[in-house]
Amino acid sequence: MKKKTNQVGTLMLILSMALIFWGCGKPKDNNSSKTGGGSGKPKATASMEVGPVELASVEEVKDFYEASPMFFSIKKTEDIPENLKWEDGLGEPVFSSPDAKQGGTMNQHTGDWPRTLRFVGPDASGSFRRHILDNNAFALVHEHPETDGYIPAIAKRWAVGDDKKTVFFELDPNARYSDGEPVQVTDFFFHFYFMRSKHIKAPWYNDYYDDKKFLNISLYNTRVLSITYYKAKPDVITKAAIRPVPEHHYEELDEDFLKDYQWEFEPTAGPYEVKKENINDGVSITLTRVVDWWADKKKFYKNRFNPEKIRVTVVREPAKVFELFRKGELDWHGLSLPEYWYDKLPNDALEVENGYIHKVQFYNDIPRPTWALRINCSKPLLDNQDIRQGLHYSMNWDLVNKEIFQGDFERMQTVADGYGGRSNPKVKAREFSIERAGAAFAKAGFTKRGGDGILQNETGKRLSFTITTGYKRFSSLLTVLQQEAKKAGVELNIEMLELTAGWKKTNEKQHEISFGGLNNSVELYPRFFEPYHSYNAYVEEGDKLYNTDGSLREGVTPKPDTNNSTLTADRELDKRIQQYRDAEGLEEITELSHDLIQRLHDHASFIPGWAKPWYRVGYWRWVKWPEGFNVRQSRDMEEFHLHWIDTDAKAQTQEAKKSGKKFEKTVKVYDQYRK
Amino acid sequence: MALWKLNPLTERKLKRFQSIKRGYWSFILLVVTLFISLFGELVVNDQALVVRYKGNWYFPALADTYPMKWIYIPKVPRTGKFFGMEKDGDGQPYSYPVNYRGLQDKWNEGNAEGWLVMPVIPHDPYKPNFSEGVGKLAAPSREHKHYLGTDDAGRDIAARLFYGFRIVMLFALGFTFMVFIIGSALGCLMGYFGGLTDLFGLRVVEIWANIPFLYMVMIMVSVLPSKVGMMTRVLMLLAIMVVFSWTSMTYYMRASTYKEKARDYVSAAILLGAGPFRIVFCHLLPNTVSTLVTFLPFTVAAAISSVTALDFLNFGLPEGTPSWGHQLRLGQEYIREKPWIIGSALTAIFLVLTMVTFIGEAVREAFDPKKFSTYE
Repeated sequence: MKKKTNQVGTLMLILSMALIFWGCGKPKDNNSSKTGGGSGKPKATASMEVGPVELASVEEVKDFYEASPMFFSIKKTEDIPENLKWEDGLGEPVFSSPDAKQGGTMNQHTGDWPRTLRFVGPDASGSFRRHILDNNAFALVHEHPETDGYIPAIAKRWAVGDDKKTVFFELDPNARYSDGEPVQVTDFFFHFYFMRSKHIKAPWYNDYYDDKKFLNISLYNTRVLSITYYKAKPDVITKAAIRPVPEHHYEELDEDFLKDYQWEFEPTAGPYEVKKENINDGVSITLTRVVDWWADKKKFYKNRFNPEKIRVTVVREPAKVFELFRKGELDWHGLSLPEYWYDKLPNDALEVENGYIHKVQFYNDIPRPTWALRINCSKPLLDNQDIRQGLHYSMNWDLVNKEIFQGDFERMQTVADGYGGRSNPKVKAREFSIERAGAAFAKAGFTKRGGDGILQNETGKRLSFTITTGYKRFSSLLTVLQQEAKKAGVELNIEMLELTAGWKKTNEKQHEISFGGLNNSVELYPRFFEPYHSYNAYVEEGDKLYNTDGSLREGVTPKPDTNNSTLTADRELDKRIQQYRDAEGLEEITELSHDLIQRLHDHASFIPGWAKPWYRVGYWRWVKWPEGFNVRQSRDMEEFHLHWIDTDAKAQTQEAKKSGKKFEKTVKVYDQYRK
Repeated sequence: MALWKLNPLTERKLKRFQSIKRGYWSFILLVVTLFISLFGELVVNDQALVVRYKGNWYFPALADTYPMKWIYIPKVPRTGKFFGMEKDGDGQPYSYPVNYRGLQDKWNEGNAEGWLVMPVIPHDPYKPNFSEGVGKLAAPSREHKHYLGTDDAGRDIAARLFYGFRIVMLFALGFTFMVFIIGSALGCLMGYFGGLTDLFGLRVVEIWANIPFLYMVMIMVSVLPSKVGMMTRVLMLLAIMVVFSWTSMTYYMRASTYKEKARDYVSAAILLGAGPFRIVFCHLLPNTVSTLVTFLPFTVAAAISSVTALDFLNFGLPEGTPSWGHQLRLGQEYIREKPWIIGSALTAIFLVLTMVTFIGEAVREAFDPKKFSTYE
């Protein structure tokens, strides 16, 4: 139901990063059935005794560990540093509702039959993955979705070492997989074996978990392990908090991995599992709650993951999905698109009027996809900062929002909105102003308007640029920008290409101005190196790129296939971005981030477009929510599983539909997190 | 000149055509509409036809009309300030070309410093006019002279349909012209030379004709290099469509040429020493023209449908161009909520295609050889 992909244009790299960071960094919980058997019942084994680690792996896996003795270390309990400051996150606030009731079935849909139940490898990142991995898997610790703190998950305590790169975790003795096997420290060794294996056919994982980013994993006893990240970063806990991969399930990997595990659900420590008997080929998959789930009574998992079952039915046609929702066969439907919110399910629709379907708009607070115009600074005229600033003033985003988006969206203000304290609240996007645009263009020598109203300079050169894009659905928006820019004396030609062709042109740095949106993962601090460092703009570096006065040399070669689509290259910026990358303390990072955001605003190669600071949903009244509806960092209604099904209310509503009885009409806006 | 000297037979055919009323009147109506649309900037435009201001006359719409547009480019823009308005409706400096509708409203309110006359539909097909309080997808309104409402970018639908008509007609006529030239030239040559030329030529045509036209167009359009400009894209679309559509004409022209070749006048021409090209283009072609003419309207109709279908599927004219296919797609998206959008587009297509078909039927009837055969 989530409309996540709606507004997200993606360069492959960023998307995969976003997905994987999300998948690995802040999963919630996860469960599964044992291979072939599907017995979800935990075995009645006693809690693990604390003792020295003994590897019970098969030869091949052992060899793999032994081949990298610097990376895989088995140590003793005495090796755990004495002075560690252990944290357990129990002081963080609870975010679920005490009123939640367990039970019931949640009916959802998916647009296509999932191609695999594997978590990794080809086809594994389809839309079904969020049910079994992103919203379900359990990692060592999770980020708290309201504060900047952490909450316990597989690990009940954790501590950051003196080097600020190593994080120590102590496993929760109760943690077990859906097949009843306890989670072992060796499963984290196995995680690296698994993620580095060629057989999983997942180069991104192979690369991400290699020994350049992760320097060491040490097992101290059957409860305690440590993971060393390559750099001391304020979010080092997030980076180190990987998820266990059940060694007993796989034992070892071979070239048949993809085939053998195509429809095998990996046992999970999370709350929902997919049992063999619940896969109805091509029709539906039902997730069931793990019986006596180990984290059921834990502070941060109580009253969450409430429905007994989640039935995900394949419905391919969006129009049919909506009809099924209106009939009550699906419990909710995303209403983020204006045509759904205003036209297809208006507030005076019968189901809404009678209070059967509730409509909610929830303001969240997460990094926004960057819908923007990116100016290619390597092109003639656009290399002039005054012209770029003039272009900022020539874009009437307010009118676009008012007329095309019906006032639904907000103006994006900077290159990095939604990063909490790291975003710079003082920097505001430039508003449409013919006067200021004129003043900026005049500085660059464009003072006279031609007969068509377009500005010219002394030599008769016109201010005419081409916007390249692949987003046909936004053509009306570009029309508005184009016509408004004419008022400021700028001619904009719109080059509308196929989606991939549009990105390709931008990636090859052939564009003048590119329009599009890039997704951002939920991270503590924004990235500047990828989109704004000269390393990603030009092939040349250092003195070959810059003259002694800091200006760019003639004839430098743009570098294709990087995310620096503005071709920003500025020696001072480079220096600061490097400082920012090297910075380790949050305070320093924040300070540098503010400075960089201000500098990039002045540099003016990125014209911020709009941000959607909320999501909207319509749901049947039997789906209940906590008081504030959802948490600050939720991307959609389902992510943190805070809702529950009120089966009495369901029966009551179905009765009322027949008798025509009305309930209280509910159309609510939750704006407690609105900035 | 031989073509223009009407022989009694042709005269009789034309009279017969004239007597088929619905075809004849459709023809007149279509030709007149097309002629008007060629100077459409005088009918549908947001530029005023005549402005009288401070004792001077201005004709902005005229300057916007082809071929004036190519010849005369004004040196200074007629901005809002030029007409004494310092600020526009949003309080921004009015240093850009004036909105004549706004100017007219201002002058109508009293204190008129001049007067002006707007075209019948005072809207530009490319410009939204939010400043006048009309949103996107607005319903038809007489007050704002949006007789068919506005589209998803707030542009006037009537204006877009009107210019869409001009584009699609010119496109279809250009397409027909090129298909006929290529198809009839090759068909005539094959028919005249016969033998191996015919044998191999026909095989090539058959193979070529079996390449699925729609897929080819889609593939070619999607691999067009991104650097080419919009006008080039339109011409390339035309070229691609022609390249994959000329084959059907060759069969008919080949058959008629075979038939005509056996006539005495051809032998006479050969005896007089005329070369094959002279015979084909000066003697055979004019005599097979009736075959061509009967196919003409139907080819035009097919071209209109094709380009509309391609637009509908997003493989046709560049985005933003006023086009019936885009209009249909928009209408289909809002078929339940805003039925008038698809209604107007469908009506326009229906009317034009019906008229073209009426013309086609009348021509076929008028040129029917069974009625006027002069075999001796």
